[in-house]
Amino acid sequence: MTTSLPIANPPLVCWSCHERTVGTHFCSSCGKVLQVPEHTDYFSMFEFPRKLRLDMGTVEQKFLQLSWKLHPDNFVNATAEEREISLKRSSELNDAYRTLRDPVARVEYLLAIEGARKEGQNKQQAPPELLEEVFELNESLDELREAKTSGIDTVRLKQKLEAAERNFEEKLGEVDGQLQAAALDWDKAIEETAADKALRDSIKSRLNDLLNRRSYIRNLVVNVQKELL
Amino acid sequence: MGRIVGIDLGTTNSLVAYVDAQTGRPKCIPGPSGSTLCPSVVSLDADGSVIVGEPARRRLLSQPERSIYSVKRLMGRGPVDVQNELKLFPFRIDPKSNHVIRVQLGDKVFTPPEISSFILRELKNWAEAYFGESVDRAVITVPAYFNDAQRQATKDAGKLAGLEVQRLVNEPTAAALAYGLHETQRGKVAVYDLGGGTFDISILKLIATTEGDIYQVLSTNGDTHLGGDDVDNLLQAFVHERILQTDQIDFSPHGELAQGLRKELIELKHKLSEADSATLRFLLPNGKLYIHEFTRGAFEALIRPVVDRTMMPVRQALADAQLKASEMDEVVLVGGTTRTPLIRRTVQEFFDRKPHTELNPDEVVALGAAVQANILDRGVQNMLLLDVTPLSLGIETYGGAVAKIIPRNSTIPASAQELYTTGVDNQTGIDIHVLQGERELAKDCRSLARFTLKVPTAPAGLPRIEVKFLIDANGILQVGAKDVRTGEQQVIEVQPSYGLNDNDIERMLEESIEYAEQDFAERQVIEARTEAEAILAATSKALANPNAAALNGEERARIDSSITALKSAVQGSDYKLIRRQIDELNHGTEHLAELLMNSAVQSALQGKNLAEV
Repeated sequence: MTTSLPIANPPLVCWSCHERTVGTHFCSSCGKVLQVPEHTDYFSMFEFPRKLRLDMGTVEQKFLQLSWKLHPDNFVNATAEEREISLKRSSELNDAYRTLRDPVARVEYLLAIEGARKEGQNKQQAPPELLEEVFELNESLDELREAKTSGIDTVRLKQKLEAAERNFEEKLGEVDGQLQAAALDWDKAIEETAADKALRDSIKSRLNDLLNRRSYIRNLVVNVQKELL
Repeated sequence: MGRIVGIDLGTTNSLVAYVDAQTGRPKCIPGPSGSTLCPSVVSLDADGSVIVGEPARRRLLSQPERSIYSVKRLMGRGPVDVQNELKLFPFRIDPKSNHVIRVQLGDKVFTPPEISSFILRELKNWAEAYFGESVDRAVITVPAYFNDAQRQATKDAGKLAGLEVQRLVNEPTAAALAYGLHETQRGKVAVYDLGGGTFDISILKLIATTEGDIYQVLSTNGDTHLGGDDVDNLLQAFVHERILQTDQIDFSPHGELAQGLRKELIELKHKLSEADSATLRFLLPNGKLYIHEFTRGAFEALIRPVVDRTMMPVRQALADAQLKASEMDEVVLVGGTTRTPLIRRTVQEFFDRKPHTELNPDEVVALGAAVQANILDRGVQNMLLLDVTPLSLGIETYGGAVAKIIPRNSTIPASAQELYTTGVDNQTGIDIHVLQGERELAKDCRSLARFTLKVPTAPAGLPRIEVKFLIDANGILQVGAKDVRTGEQQVIEVQPSYGLNDNDIERMLEESIEYAEQDFAERQVIEARTEAEAILAATSKALANPNAAALNGEERARIDSSITALKSAVQGSDYKLIRRQIDELNHGTEHLAELLMNSAVQSALQGKNLAEV
């Protein structure tokens, strides 16, 4: 799974007519809906290269076009086997659309199929440059919880936490910007077939770090929001 | 294969519809009374036969302990869930109920799917009588916000009624289909559906493509226990309180008195949709007439909490669709409760546009179900529906937390895979708990099912079991598992947390066949009895007429003996005997009928029987 070139699904044998078929979704020989080959990923399902910047209009159009053909409504009177395949295929189509249209989920998915998504033990660890701010934030959160239980006035603490929340929201925006920049680099590396594996690997690793950083900050923001409710 | 129909299985009323092959338009099928509304009321007669619809509704007053309404509120729920409802609804829950509620009707107990199946069977009968051929498949609508258990219960009800349920369609989506066919619409549509017991809001996008129109649901939200019933409950609580103060009369929800008052209040509520005021006149057991005038304003102040409760889901659905109220192109009102002017005003103000109400709000969901039934029957041609799951699907993780694996508002079918392994050497099983809901802790979500994965004996961490969770186009969960290393599929026996298992269904199916036969005989008996009562009344009225004195003694004796014979036949349940005695009395009274005719029209009416005169 290291190739990142536009994917045409390799030929396979149709489950129904047993002919070799070159169709992505339907048998090129008998027209029956095909099983998803084990290695088909969301990008190749949409017949897209593994690029991170997608035109949403194109994604939606492709989704609707495939929905017409794969939706179980088309197979109510078909054989049990075809019904089963349609259910599987249309659920995978919907899963793919859900993933591809969300910019963060898309990066996460790309890294997963590239074998480069590593949450690891770093998940709960604060990025070093944020350590001080996170420490302060946690202290304020503890104070607020204490104040709540003992009935002390919480207005000042809440204001402090709201400021911290805004600060981390800003950082989240920064990470999103960095993710976009890295996505752009990735797409360029894909277009230039000459780009070496080392470059791609380094971009993937950068994307992975950004995702971890993003999810860490996102959790912080959610926790603060919960306490402020 | 028989015909396919669309059914709206409502809290208050149920309807059946089909698409007319000539016009291509959906149409509701009337029952024997000529009305297309079948009250969702079931009553069990003392002889064990089941009565459904309008006749059952009348028995709510005379035999409340054998009759049940709003059973939809109990579908897919456990006894603990409905404790609050019991204070307001005359449900008699069998104390032995465990994961499935059992309701007592007279001396028998039934599950909610069984009671719903009686309603479905009645509608099936209506359709079969209308077409003159068998109907064996249906599309049934459910509230969009119904969870897995509530959907499964509805599907079970269909099966018990002898119907193959080809699809469960969300009510607001069905309404959008009916409106779309009624008049071509484009853009973003909000469907506000407030029925007898459930509230749904759905945000849809109508897209024209070269292949045809796509109805894509972007988000949905709602409350499966909010509707016209709650308006009635508020009115009833208000009046109970008043009467308790003035006359010290306490109403138990189970009694005839409470049912009688409820009926009056529902009529009052309907009047207040048209008039500026309406007066309640209710005869109390102490002989006093309780009179209370409700102005529209006082009524609206009283029911305001119900209307307010609908607005939270509306805001959430818009937020989930990432849209603002002002961005909606059309707003559609569905459900009988949206006839209330306060609701129309509130919705209009919120969206700042006049909502569509052109189609009958009682019929529109059934019409949409018929459209979807037609699509499934003939294959997708120029319309496609893409619906969503209303609630997130999750699995319980360590510490009672929930990991969401399919987020709410995902287009269905949708799926998610999870990989499991063992924590200790030679572990033989992994317990999995599936939940639905938005909260973070398992105890706050709806438990759907538990099952145990079988694991081959191996050192800890070595087994790899992949579990696939799939929500099908009905919004119902399917689970499959396979051993990643061997590729071996595993059949998983899922024990639903609040539903019938396969054995329950099999047993009930056997029992339902018994009821099906009874149903037919029962209908015949009821129809024959009704006719007998009509002719008996007409005869006694005719005999009281002075012109009846012209009958000779033999004629009079024959009539009297026929009356006695018919009256005794009506006591039994042999409908053929009742029919014979009706014919006998009809014959015997031919001369009497003639005598009563004005001589000028006598010739035109010769040969008619008394009931027709």
